[in-house]
Amino acid sequence: MISAVVIFIALAALFGLLLGYAAVRFRVEAPPVVEEIDKVLPQIQCGQCGYPGCKPYAEAVAHGEAINKCTPGGEAVMLKIAEILGVEPQPMAEGEEAEKSRMVAFIHEQDCIGCMHCIKACPVDAIVGTTKAVHTVIAQECTGCELCVPVCPTDCIEMQPLPETPRNWIWPDPEKVIPTVIPKLESPHP
Amino acid sequence: MRTVLRAFSRLYPMAKRWLKRFPGGVYPSYRKELSLRHPCHDPIIPDELVLPLQQHVGAPAVPLVTVGERVRKFQRLAKPAPGLSAPVHAPTSGLIKAIEKRPLPHPSGLPDWCIVIEPDHEDEAGEMPIEIETPTCPTSLKQMILQAGIVGMGGAGFPSWRKLPQKKGQVHTLLLNGAECEPYITCDDMLMQTRAEEIIRGACTIAACIGAEKIIVGIEDNKPRALAAMQQAAEGRGVEIQSVPTVYPMGGQKQLTEQLTGIEIPAGAHAVDVGLLMFNVATVAAIHHASEYHQPLISRMVTVTGEGLNDPMNIEALLGTPFATLAALADPKTELNYPLIMGGPMMGFEVPDPTVPVIKTTNCILANPPQPVEPAMPCIRCGECMEACPVNLLPQQMYWHAHAHEWDKVEKLNLFDCIECGCCSFVCPSHIPLVQYYRHAKGEIRKLREEQAFQEHARRRHEAHLARLEREKQEKEARLQAKKAAVKKQAAQQTPASSATPSARQRAIEAAKKRAQQEAGGASTSSAADKRKAAMEAARKRAAAARGSQDKSTDTTAEAKAQRKQAAQAAAKAKAAALKAQKTAQQSQQTGATEQQSPRKAAMEAAKRRAQALKAKKQAQTGENSEKTAPNTDQETAEKTGPQKNGGTPMATTPEAADSAQSSPPSAEARRKAAMAAARKRAAALRAKKQQESES
Repeated sequence: MISAVVIFIALAALFGLLLGYAAVRFRVEAPPVVEEIDKVLPQIQCGQCGYPGCKPYAEAVAHGEAINKCTPGGEAVMLKIAEILGVEPQPMAEGEEAEKSRMVAFIHEQDCIGCMHCIKACPVDAIVGTTKAVHTVIAQECTGCELCVPVCPTDCIEMQPLPETPRNWIWPDPEKVIPTVIPKLESPHP
Repeated sequence: MRTVLRAFSRLYPMAKRWLKRFPGGVYPSYRKELSLRHPCHDPIIPDELVLPLQQHVGAPAVPLVTVGERVRKFQRLAKPAPGLSAPVHAPTSGLIKAIEKRPLPHPSGLPDWCIVIEPDHEDEAGEMPIEIETPTCPTSLKQMILQAGIVGMGGAGFPSWRKLPQKKGQVHTLLLNGAECEPYITCDDMLMQTRAEEIIRGACTIAACIGAEKIIVGIEDNKPRALAAMQQAAEGRGVEIQSVPTVYPMGGQKQLTEQLTGIEIPAGAHAVDVGLLMFNVATVAAIHHASEYHQPLISRMVTVTGEGLNDPMNIEALLGTPFATLAALADPKTELNYPLIMGGPMMGFEVPDPTVPVIKTTNCILANPPQPVEPAMPCIRCGECMEACPVNLLPQQMYWHAHAHEWDKVEKLNLFDCIECGCCSFVCPSHIPLVQYYRHAKGEIRKLREEQAFQEHARRRHEAHLARLEREKQEKEARLQAKKAAVKKQAAQQTPASSATPSARQRAIEAAKKRAQQEAGGASTSSAADKRKAAMEAARKRAAAARGSQDKSTDTTAEAKAQRKQAAQAAAKAKAAALKAQKTAQQSQQTGATEQQSPRKAAMEAAKRRAQALKAKKQAQTGENSEKTAPNTDQETAEKTGPQKNGGTPMATTPEAADSAQSSPPSAEARRKAAMAAARKRAAALRAKKQQESES
């Protein structure tokens, strides 16, 4: 009886030590969840979620903020975050669908007064110019966050879609060109 | 064995697939005899040539000519952009009519930049743009091919120089693609019949340059005349001509390579990696022209055919010739009011505009009257597409996922190994446009990848932006701290220590003087922005001086403190001087822009004027009907003096305007003085009024 107890205690201690050693030795670093969420976010830095950029929102989400606040990312991003965090998907606030084509800001230069407001608002430094000099947007750097649009005192900033060229053109969805026709079969049992 | 299989294929048609080495394939009706009824059509020079800057895979070429310039045949019109690109040459002599966006022979039908030439029909040749005499090594051959602007002429348009190996001996077998498996097209057939010698000699040149030991030409067995001509030309040169079974897509690079050598090029690898290199026969002919005659690529053999033409033909067409011109030469049966097709019926695409030009990859212009489009029916899971696929993919599975927009799953099924041959669509009994789904899926996946790359880029830029803001904030804080310390020190010790740091002090004073002079000189242009700039400059200098003095005296803190204090004092003085100078400058405008005044004089002048203004203000305040009458009387006097100087222009009531009026050339000294006095009074009265208003 005592020998059995001793044996079991010894075994328990042995396995406990083994497990403890393994936990230290074969420790796997889980990828930081904030980084993962940040990777999923569209990086437009628009601040529509109420945070000053995508990274702060990723941090907030990791600490329990609602996952449906990224308007540009839309439902796709929300679902991805839900998957990462293992939480229930939350419906997007408005039924507004995210625009498919990328929009970039364009400054109508004849109306620009060189006030620097848009330059200060740009989260990715995609606007060049200086005081009293005409500003312009570097189209390939613009994320289309629209933060520069409301701050312009002369309303000379407009969001425009990127022009379609043979280089960025893709074949259209065949479903839209030749839709699949499902023939109606006459039911044998009326 | 073959004959047995052929006989068996009469009973079981798909037994034909066992005749070749690669899987799948289909047997469309070829209709190649249409365009082989006549010999080659005589070359023509159309009334307009449109040369797109992008006729190849990669970056568009960069134009070297301007509108209105006269160019000669073979002249380089556009140079290759850095990276993967190819130049564009003038096919004939003429004037550059325009460089503008024109519709391209591209499935999108979108316009892009083109050089438009109006030929003068003299066909006057200029200098050859190729500098390499005879290529001897892969590097010189590469250079020559790049200079000649040769791209893959089978239809892919990949710049040929990029396909060549880096070192000699890397490639052991050179393969020539004369399969031409697409229905209707006969341009390579015609080329082999008429220019077999050139092709063989070109192949020998390439093989010698890259050190290939073997040359194999693959020609489908439905071109007996081309086979005979090539065999005759190849005699005694060690070039092997192989007849390959006729099956679509035998002309695919990987398919023909497998058929000729038995080697299957692994997914993701290039032919060069397994010691093979394949060129289209037309590309080899162009390379021969470049090495033998130093000619760039300016024309190509084009098949103009289709059921809608009476006289289908082959023609050596200049690059840039509009499709409509060539189609008109072939005598259309009816008016060509339906879209033409570039390429064959399997892989070709409709061009939206008949005026699109022939480019380096245009092998065929097909005028087939449109057939009714069969509606796509649901997939019945027959598996025919899987049997037909020449790269052993699972078209049906890919279709399901592409249909559901599950791009990651399509990609896992090796979508990017699909050669878009269209065999699956061809055999589909439900008429599902399968290949269109894969093309769309490829585009979407590429777009997603680009978006991801852009997201990463934007994230990095945002981080850089935040880092910049933080840095600026810290710098500002540091400046503020320095300033605060300086002010504190100054308050504590009123008397300035004299000779401890002459350098910092002198610098500050000098800067202030310079500023003052500048202000006095170019006072008329001084604005709020300039003032701010000057203030910022002063602040920066102050900070610098403070920092400098700090750095210099690391040994004793007392000395450092003294220095800092002195610097601060100097800065404060400089600031005061600057302020004074500014005021002076503003008020000394009437003395003329050219007149250089010392800041002190200006300051004295200003002080005087201030005193006068104060006096006037007092007068105005004590006067009986002060507010209203004083400005009025002033205005009257101004009006009296005004016309004499300004030629009747109405006088403004602001002091600035008065000043500007006084700056015009004076007629008499007395009048000017009077006017000045009046203006001064007006200004003072205005100020008084404003003050009273603000007080009340």
